[in-house]
Amino acid sequence: MARQNGPASGAPDDQTRTRYLDPDEVRVFRDEDGRLFATVAEELTVLRPRFLRVHPLTDPDRYLAIVGPDPEGKDFGLLRNWRRLDRESRDIVNGELNRRYLHPVVKRIMSLRDYFGVAVCVFDTDRGLREATLRDVRDNVIYLGQSRILLTDAEGNRYDIRDVGALDAASKAMLAEVL
Amino acid sequence: MVVEDDSLPKSVRDALPGVASSSIRLSAEADLATDGRFGERWVVLADDRVLTVASEDGEARVQRDLALTDIDEFKLESLVGGGVLQAVVDGREVDLISYTNALSKRFADVRTQLEAALKDKPIPEAPDRIFRCPKCGMVLGERTRVCVRCVRRGAMLRRLLSYARPYRAGLALVSVLMIAAAAFGLVPPWLTKILVDDVLIPKANPHLLGWLVFGLLASSVLSTVLAIWRGRVAAWLGGRTSLDIRAELYDRLQWMSLRYFDHHPTGTLVSRLTQDSGGVQDFLAFGLPWVASNLIIVFGVAGAIFALNWKLALLVLVPAPLVALLTRSLIRRVRLAFHKFWYGWSRFHTIVNDALGRVKIVKAFTRELDEIERFRFRNMELFGASVQAEQTFATFFPIIGFAVMSGSLLVWYFGGRLVIGDAGLSVGGLMAFLAYLAMLYGPLHGLAQSAQWMSRAMTAAERIFEVLDSEDYVERAPGKTVPEELRGEVEFQKVTFGYEKSQPVLKEVSFEAEADRMVGLVGKSGVGKTTVINLLCRFYDPDEGQVLVDGVDIRDLDLGAYRGHIGAVLQEPLMFSATIAENIAYGRPDATTEDIIAAAKAANAHNFIIKKPDGYDEQVGERGDKLSSGEKQRVSIARAILRDPKILILDEATANVDLETEELIQEALARLIEGRTTFTIAHRLSTLRNAHKLLVLEEGKVAEFGTHEELAKSKGVYSRLLNIFRKTSRVRAVDG
Repeated sequence: MARQNGPASGAPDDQTRTRYLDPDEVRVFRDEDGRLFATVAEELTVLRPRFLRVHPLTDPDRYLAIVGPDPEGKDFGLLRNWRRLDRESRDIVNGELNRRYLHPVVKRIMSLRDYFGVAVCVFDTDRGLREATLRDVRDNVIYLGQSRILLTDAEGNRYDIRDVGALDAASKAMLAEVL
Repeated sequence: MVVEDDSLPKSVRDALPGVASSSIRLSAEADLATDGRFGERWVVLADDRVLTVASEDGEARVQRDLALTDIDEFKLESLVGGGVLQAVVDGREVDLISYTNALSKRFADVRTQLEAALKDKPIPEAPDRIFRCPKCGMVLGERTRVCVRCVRRGAMLRRLLSYARPYRAGLALVSVLMIAAAAFGLVPPWLTKILVDDVLIPKANPHLLGWLVFGLLASSVLSTVLAIWRGRVAAWLGGRTSLDIRAELYDRLQWMSLRYFDHHPTGTLVSRLTQDSGGVQDFLAFGLPWVASNLIIVFGVAGAIFALNWKLALLVLVPAPLVALLTRSLIRRVRLAFHKFWYGWSRFHTIVNDALGRVKIVKAFTRELDEIERFRFRNMELFGASVQAEQTFATFFPIIGFAVMSGSLLVWYFGGRLVIGDAGLSVGGLMAFLAYLAMLYGPLHGLAQSAQWMSRAMTAAERIFEVLDSEDYVERAPGKTVPEELRGEVEFQKVTFGYEKSQPVLKEVSFEAEADRMVGLVGKSGVGKTTVINLLCRFYDPDEGQVLVDGVDIRDLDLGAYRGHIGAVLQEPLMFSATIAENIAYGRPDATTEDIIAAAKAANAHNFIIKKPDGYDEQVGERGDKLSSGEKQRVSIARAILRDPKILILDEATANVDLETEELIQEALARLIEGRTTFTIAHRLSTLRNAHKLLVLEEGKVAEFGTHEELAKSKGVYSRLLNIFRKTSRVRAVDG
């Protein structure tokens, strides 16, 4: 497997080889009509690229795939660290990621009432306040490591609690009631 | 036509420039702002304009205002955690409004409605997608009508007891025995009082001595015998009741749709059937009678001590409110601790099932140490939870004991003063009083302990009722049409379906299959081939559209009878841990030995079966592990032949079998498909050629439908797949 940055050797169509992109050779921009482009080392221009996280949950800031817009989604390569892109590109990628990944991170649990296994709670998240109904809580929780949990509510929305231990005491106590 | 599903708030309506209320044709609320924060947003179709409005703190302002004539089409982009409704303007996508997963179905409808408006068609009515309790507005489960917020808690206990209703006579007997046993239990202290006051202290009435001692013996014996009788009847009642609950639970689980099992790990369900119903049984057979008889004793004793001396009795009961308060606050903590403990058990089950069930892979990848580590972690977690539960209980129990104990010191002091001062209490009375008090401790301890029984049983019952109340099961549809015979014509009409509500796997799939013909399902993996099969078997019901067999919606057919006409040979044949004969006869348990042999023969399985040491009685092992994959395949073909279905599902094996076995399987299949409507997920070129029609799926939609020859010529998806296919088969042929 190609380990260095930069274009991998071999045919560009070689789908078995991972191409790691150098942040310096990637540019992301919009034209005057607002259409999104990504260019790779002057050799390749992708119209309406999609930026997909390789590890959206466990390592969201690293390993970003640049993929074509079609459903087939041709993979143009991976960025190990997209934050090293130039400023304009970085801002656009950040906006695109923010748009694609709706991933509210819970900062505080404002209230939680348990009605025989169905919990109605209000989360204070990085995207604002939200009331969520948690049904079968224990069946709808994913443990990522020992202190991080992902809750899915009755409507299919997910909430990330990055570190249960770091929540305030009241939030922790409320969470303990349903977990 | 005005279609207003979500009522537009006045502030939003007022913010629309130059829009009369009467011109609003459609409005829908979304829950995300463009910057990805939660917020109230509206999309409105008024005359031929599409507007989006942001509403914050009661203030609304228009964000976009587009003319329908400028819009080419409406699109949905599905994102992670939600989606966005877009308008295509001049070939460019413009984001109109974003929403979370909660509204993804709703916006799929909105898009359809907007598209209709765009094409000048009448706007279709959208189905009601929001399932909320009509009383309190809480979000209900997707297929549950029971709102737990509106269910009263006492109702849980009543509901549990309602299972005992068929056994009223037993219940009445237990109640009578309980009261009688308690009454006889109250006699000895009273006799002691007479013995002390009338015989021992005055040293008189010697003739009474014998009678009193006989009375003591008789009442003790009677109370013991009654207690035994009561215990035996109560055990039967409790056991019988929980048997009924378990049966209902298992019955319900068997009829649940596969969608339910997708969302509930087997370990959890196993634990509901074993641990939870065990908890309920303990409560009903032992806990509840114990609580009831203790309550009777407490009331009886209270009556007796009030009769002896009411002032002293009041004094003794002083610690009672304290005990009650303690019980109340600690009951909650015990409940929570036990909740955690049972949950730990269920996760423990899951991990053990997982690792031991896949022990081959664990060993093949030498992950034993990691599995041990994973187990160790869960084991420790379980240990922690059990310690917490038991410790909470262990702390709670002695505190109550102490509080009750303090009562007897009061009796010695104040009662003693009453005796010395001749103030209405005799020595015998004091002794009886103390004896009654001692009788009070046990039942009060018992009642304190009942907190544990109660909390364990209520949480267990809660979890069981959750399954019973879930309506996520495919209806058996009693009384609907029972198809005696099927011709086997199958039709999909605009079928849309997704395992997750926001991600449709099939989108408006329509096709027709003639009776007795073979349809090959073609497409890349994940394209929805298996989903077509799942819907045909009615493992799931379509979200939209219909599956028709002989022109009848299969939801209108009796499910059992309908499935009776379906047979399946799956890629990975599922075997039960039983004999080969039982596995073949699984779909027709009444088959005779000769039927089974005939089926095995037709499936080219007979020859290998009789060579097994135990022949047809050979145990196949768990999941059929003792058979080779070619053997399993043929057993499952035999099973399908014996079932004699009108509609046959064939998921061709890609499993590596030698050429000779392959030929045997092919031969068996050729016999099997005769005279049946066959759906096959094709992996072999020969199958594709033999199929009468090919259904080519792409992105969950029907890309092509026609014969092999037609499609091969058309230079479409199929001919492309065919090329790849030919290349890989060549490689396989070389490898082979």
